Amino acid sequence: MKHLLKTSLSAILALAATSQVYAIERKATLGGFDGFVERMGAGTREMGRGNTGSADTASMPGAYWNPAILGFRENLTYTLNADKRDLDRMGGNVGIEGRVGNRMGVGFAMLYRGDLSFDVVNEDDETVGKATPYFTMLYLGFAYRATRRDAFGLSLSMSYDNLDISEHIDGYEVVDDYRSPVTINLSWLRQWNKNWSTSIVIRNLSFSENLSAKWDRNTSTDNSLPSTEGVRPKILQIGLGYRSNILGKPVYAWMEAIDYQVADTLLAFDPQLHVWTGRVGFECDIIEGGTVRVGMDDLDFTFGLGYKFNLRIGKKKYLFDVNYALLYESDAGLWNPLSFGLRGFIP
Amino acid sequence: MNFFKCSALLAMAISQGFAAETLFSNWTFKVAPGSETGKLYVFSRGDVASGLTELPLKPTSHGITVDKSNQTSVGDSMTAVHDGIFIDTWAERRRTPSTFAGDLGLVLPMYTTDKNGSFEDPAGIFSVRNIERIVETPLDPPDFAEDLDSAMMYAPTGFAYDSATKTLWIARGAAGITQYDISGGPNHPDITNFILNKKDAKLEKLKQSYSYKKSKNASVLDVALHPETRALWLATENGLWTYDGSSLTPNKSLDTTKRVTGVWIGGEPLQIIAEVSKLGSDGVQGSLWRSTNGTRFKKVNFLDTTGTVQKKDIFANANYTVTDVAFLGNRAFIAVSSTGGKESGYLLLDSAGVRAWETDENDGSQWLNGFERGVTDRDEVITSITTFPLTSKITGLAVSTYGNGISVSADSGATWTSILNRAKLSNNLGSIRMVPSVIKAEGMQALVSYKVGKSSKITIEVFSYDMRKVRTIVKDAPREADNSRSTYPKEDFWDGLDDHGRPCTMGVYYVRVKDNHGNVGWGKVMTLGGR
Repeated sequence: MKHLLKTSLSAILALAATSQVYAIERKATLGGFDGFVERMGAGTREMGRGNTGSADTASMPGAYWNPAILGFRENLTYTLNADKRDLDRMGGNVGIEGRVGNRMGVGFAMLYRGDLSFDVVNEDDETVGKATPYFTMLYLGFAYRATRRDAFGLSLSMSYDNLDISEHIDGYEVVDDYRSPVTINLSWLRQWNKNWSTSIVIRNLSFSENLSAKWDRNTSTDNSLPSTEGVRPKILQIGLGYRSNILGKPVYAWMEAIDYQVADTLLAFDPQLHVWTGRVGFECDIIEGGTVRVGMDDLDFTFGLGYKFNLRIGKKKYLFDVNYALLYESDAGLWNPLSFGLRGFIP
Repeated sequence: MNFFKCSALLAMAISQGFAAETLFSNWTFKVAPGSETGKLYVFSRGDVASGLTELPLKPTSHGITVDKSNQTSVGDSMTAVHDGIFIDTWAERRRTPSTFAGDLGLVLPMYTTDKNGSFEDPAGIFSVRNIERIVETPLDPPDFAEDLDSAMMYAPTGFAYDSATKTLWIARGAAGITQYDISGGPNHPDITNFILNKKDAKLEKLKQSYSYKKSKNASVLDVALHPETRALWLATENGLWTYDGSSLTPNKSLDTTKRVTGVWIGGEPLQIIAEVSKLGSDGVQGSLWRSTNGTRFKKVNFLDTTGTVQKKDIFANANYTVTDVAFLGNRAFIAVSSTGGKESGYLLLDSAGVRAWETDENDGSQWLNGFERGVTDRDEVITSITTFPLTSKITGLAVSTYGNGISVSADSGATWTSILNRAKLSNNLGSIRMVPSVIKAEGMQALVSYKVGKSSKITIEVFSYDMRKVRTIVKDAPREADNSRSTYPKEDFWDGLDDHGRPCTMGVYYVRVKDNHGNVGWGKVMTLGGR
């Protein structure tokens, strides 16, 4: 375990370092593109271990992480998560998913991010109002379990954003809300054996030219402002999971390598047009039902705790899983200690 | 259509209709001498309302300071700035004229909304008796107004006041020239309208039955009073004319073939500057002409940095028109802007002509003084210029800008102080304000406003919502302590672009300002994105 931790951390740091070196030459930085809601992950449990979740059949919401996960669902499950980050950033997500027939699964997820206190300052340096802009992503996922070990998934996603500024902007008929067209995410998950699992997720394909998720936004109803463009990079996300026991305690290691293609082409082979990031996470069930997690998402550090317990309601036992996570955003130097989540299983 | 909604100038934004701390609004269109020494009038127009500010100014060792300004709104149904001021291709309509007219005070044009809701219906003049009393003075449209293509054809585009006869002359385009005689008092004017008959070379009283004929009449586009001869100089679409009270004489240099859109008289020795401008196949074609001490008008020379006269001047390269002229001794400051306001600044005219100054190797030399020369600390449109008595000994120079308040110089344009509305900031990066906090379109900027208590090295970075750094604006840049703010506007702004010059997508971004003393502050800004 120690060796794996060291190797994984070295790998992820090397990957991150490479990414930093290339960033000097890169034509674009990832932060300036659409899709931050997606990039920030979903689920407190997964956040605690570095936002890793695509190669874990227990990750939720499955429609977001890897729709193929839905093929492994046995029960109706749900998840609710919320986090409050520094600088008034509020986020959360909900998901519900379950099995359909013998080999299929279906799930829905909604991700939310917003700013609770955005001061609208005009050109005369006067604060003319307070806005609460928010950004959401909706996912509808389907999975087909082809074999006992393999499942394939597809999810349809779209975003709905609301800037909440129009009432404070005079002189322009500013549009507040925007919807993206539907984009497609394809995935595969294989549980090789009781130790290893892998996943491949391809995100943000569209029916437009070059299969790019790109769309126009009319920022004003009276054409007083030029229209702008939304572009969500194509993503290749490869996940790896490893399960073992150390000193009789179950331990898990998760890794993800993510490639963002920041170019409006079908496939770009120029490394200048790609941003690579990595995620790594570890968890250990230190007590019965209790889990400790650590991880890194790019260069952000995470820490998490989880506890599972059953509650008997009537004749049935309901399993609950409560989670906590802490996130340190390294680049910005911000501590975010307020992330809480609940998962439940309905027998 | 409202120009605030359709102009190609993307660096536009809107101010509020309520009084602010320093100026009525940072969107200023006209600076003019105030009612007494050390005071300036500034006319601002926001989208909600327009208003006038009287600024008491004082030169200090730290620049020019404002004691306490007075502001008056002229409401939201009238304004002195029409909607086409930036996009109109006719030079005479691309400026806001004014003059001081005795008991009438400062006089400005007055527009109301037309049937399309645009401020393009000339309604008369504003008479600023004092900052607390601005009188709306209606002027009737000519009887043949309906025969004209647009009401803007009789917009008031020039004023001249004859203090000897207490007469205000108003250039009114196709409606000729209006004699506004206030010898009976400012509230009892005797108004007579004249039309310029170019065929018979005379000013004819406008009769009710008059029908406008372009072949017979010339639109009067500007007017100026010669301070020595008391003759009236009329810039018309058919040349420059002088009127001595009885006879009208065409100027031989700027004859009836030239469309003279502006005339300004002043300076020592006395100069008469005229602008010739017309709409040609390649856009606006203009030129500057000058007569010194009664000599024949000559085209103004444009000189390179070695003093060699250039064949092509600034007017040959862009759709420039003159927005204002200010005289200071033997020099003239000529504010110009291109159609749409993309380029603006002033030309410094001396006895030899307009001299170019050197920029860096890439840009070459240029004639326009503006942002690069420190006239403004943000790259905004310069809309007017004036000289005024700053103290009994110092003649001040002031420019108005579209978005950055005004700039004032106490040393003939060598150094400038920006005066604009600014919110109070906490010290040591205690509050970071992005002004404005919404970048509405590509090309716009948000100023990073902050204050430090002692000299610091400042680093400003922009982060996306997921805290990925998208832009480093400045790194370890030296900034001085300041009572108001330490922001260096030429560098401390975000234009919505990432480090590679690509517009960031729509969303909220977070701006971190750090100093070398361990202080950190955060601001927020939103961009609507780009393409």
